[in-house]
Amino acid sequence: MGQTLHTLRTAGTVARLEWQLEWRQGHQLAAVGLFAIASVYVAFQASDQHTGAAAWTAMLWLVHLFSGFTAIGRLFDRERSNVRRYLQWSAEPLGLMLGKLFHAVLTTTALTAVVLGAFLLFLGWPQGIESPGKPGLLVLGAWLGGLSMTTTLVFVSAVASQVRNGSGALAAVLGLPLLLPQLILATRLTRGALSDEPWVMLVEYPVFLGALGAGTATIACILFPYIWRA
Amino acid sequence: MKGSWNWFWKGGSVLLLTYVVVRGFCTPLQPGLVSATPSQLSVAPQVVDLVAVGQPFATSEDLPASFDVVLRSGDQLIRTDVVAITPHSVRIQIDVPPTMPSRALDAYLFTPASGTLFLGNACFVEDAAKGDVPPEFSASAPDPQEPDLGFSFPYQPNIMESIRNLLWHVPMWFAMFFIMGLGFVASLAQLRTDSIGWDMRAEAAVKTGLVFGLLGLATGSLWARWTWGAWWVSDPQLNGALVTVLLYSGYLVLRSAMGDDDRVGRLAAVYNVFAFVMLVILLMVLPRYTESLHPGKDGNPGFNSYDLDNSLRAVFYPAVIGWGALCYWMYTLRLRMNRCAHHLLSR
Repeated sequence: MGQTLHTLRTAGTVARLEWQLEWRQGHQLAAVGLFAIASVYVAFQASDQHTGAAAWTAMLWLVHLFSGFTAIGRLFDRERSNVRRYLQWSAEPLGLMLGKLFHAVLTTTALTAVVLGAFLLFLGWPQGIESPGKPGLLVLGAWLGGLSMTTTLVFVSAVASQVRNGSGALAAVLGLPLLLPQLILATRLTRGALSDEPWVMLVEYPVFLGALGAGTATIACILFPYIWRA
Repeated sequence: MKGSWNWFWKGGSVLLLTYVVVRGFCTPLQPGLVSATPSQLSVAPQVVDLVAVGQPFATSEDLPASFDVVLRSGDQLIRTDVVAITPHSVRIQIDVPPTMPSRALDAYLFTPASGTLFLGNACFVEDAAKGDVPPEFSASAPDPQEPDLGFSFPYQPNIMESIRNLLWHVPMWFAMFFIMGLGFVASLAQLRTDSIGWDMRAEAAVKTGLVFGLLGLATGSLWARWTWGAWWVSDPQLNGALVTVLLYSGYLVLRSAMGDDDRVGRLAAVYNVFAFVMLVILLMVLPRYTESLHPGKDGNPGFNSYDLDNSLRAVFYPAVIGWGALCYWMYTLRLRMNRCAHHLLSR
């Protein structure tokens, strides 16, 4: 019981530290936002406002994927080296992981809002869709898809941060294949939400996305203590 | 004692695979009807060729009189006359009746040597009216014939001769699961003991498993081209297979990125445990619950429906054991190379 409490307290501290770090080093947050909005603007210019549902979905997830990489890919590399060493020897690994995961979930939620908002602002609803579709399912899909990508990215970023040189590129190389299943599910869900398919037919996709996200988060929590103080 | 056991299983795997190659390629396919030309008929007397594979009519002693062809429309049968027989086709004369229950006709060919051959939706009649077949056109079913076809592989529409790929494609994935499972256990042991021996085992297992995964992808792609018409399709099982292979390639990338860092064993073990859990999810869980063309998933019959055939089973099981043993043999060789390299480097 005391151990659990201790872990949770560590998680809270780490999450608070991450939050402060995020605002103190404002440039990282700004970089992610800038990246997301600039990519959406490129998509908007390339699409000439005659985008069908397929191309709309493809561009949405490409932007979401690479914004996610920018935001989460270096999650374990952000602290200055002395802070990192301090965390390494004082913080309990599971609590540290939970804190980082919590922070990643917050970041992804904000990122989803920014990407989806910018998309709807610039590109609007895709062409050729008469029915209003299912906006709620679209938002839920973008959020859940983002979350299940994020939990995987947190694990990959934790592994890559242990490699001394070039951990950013390594996170991308290891992360992209791992994110394919989530992206396949998420794009299908988005396509479904834009079509006039009844939502009962699509309910398996949010369930799978949630399960994949929770599953990878659990594995990451189990395995993280083995790599943190290796 | 140990030496003779090694000789036994290694020699056994070679013998089994030799048997599989010979039996797999030399066993004839059971005959089956492929198509009817022309497939569009009109209400008039006309001639139709039924084309078959597997040389069902090669025994030329059979008289045309002993061949019987009936066409089925709805639940009624239509009479035909056999005009000529070549080794790969039967030419029939049919008087298409003006009324019949369905415009689609199924063909049944009764032969003494190969039994009953069936072709669903063989022909369509464009201008027939709906109604019962007039009595002067209707036929009664001939006596069923069940000849002994000997040792032969079952005929499946679409799959046809490519059914032999079952002996390559499926055992390769089985072998990959087996050796990746071994690597998973080795990685768990590595995390528990932190010893270099388990790390070398895990690395050897992943490298061997990747070879079999790539071969599984190649044979599967070939099969997809034949049965589905494309080298690659977007299917949960295929996506899962590709992601799994990419995932394990990532394991090798991670190892080489670490270089001679002494934490490589632990980090690689963590990654490998994660990769194996993903393998189970991607290849065994997800495809079963989503729409899939692949046999064995989403209610499609697995190889059990081919497996019911005893002749195929008699080659398939040896193939599974043979490929599995060969895979393990390759793994032991790779492990020995790893040990030699470690020994040389640590001198």
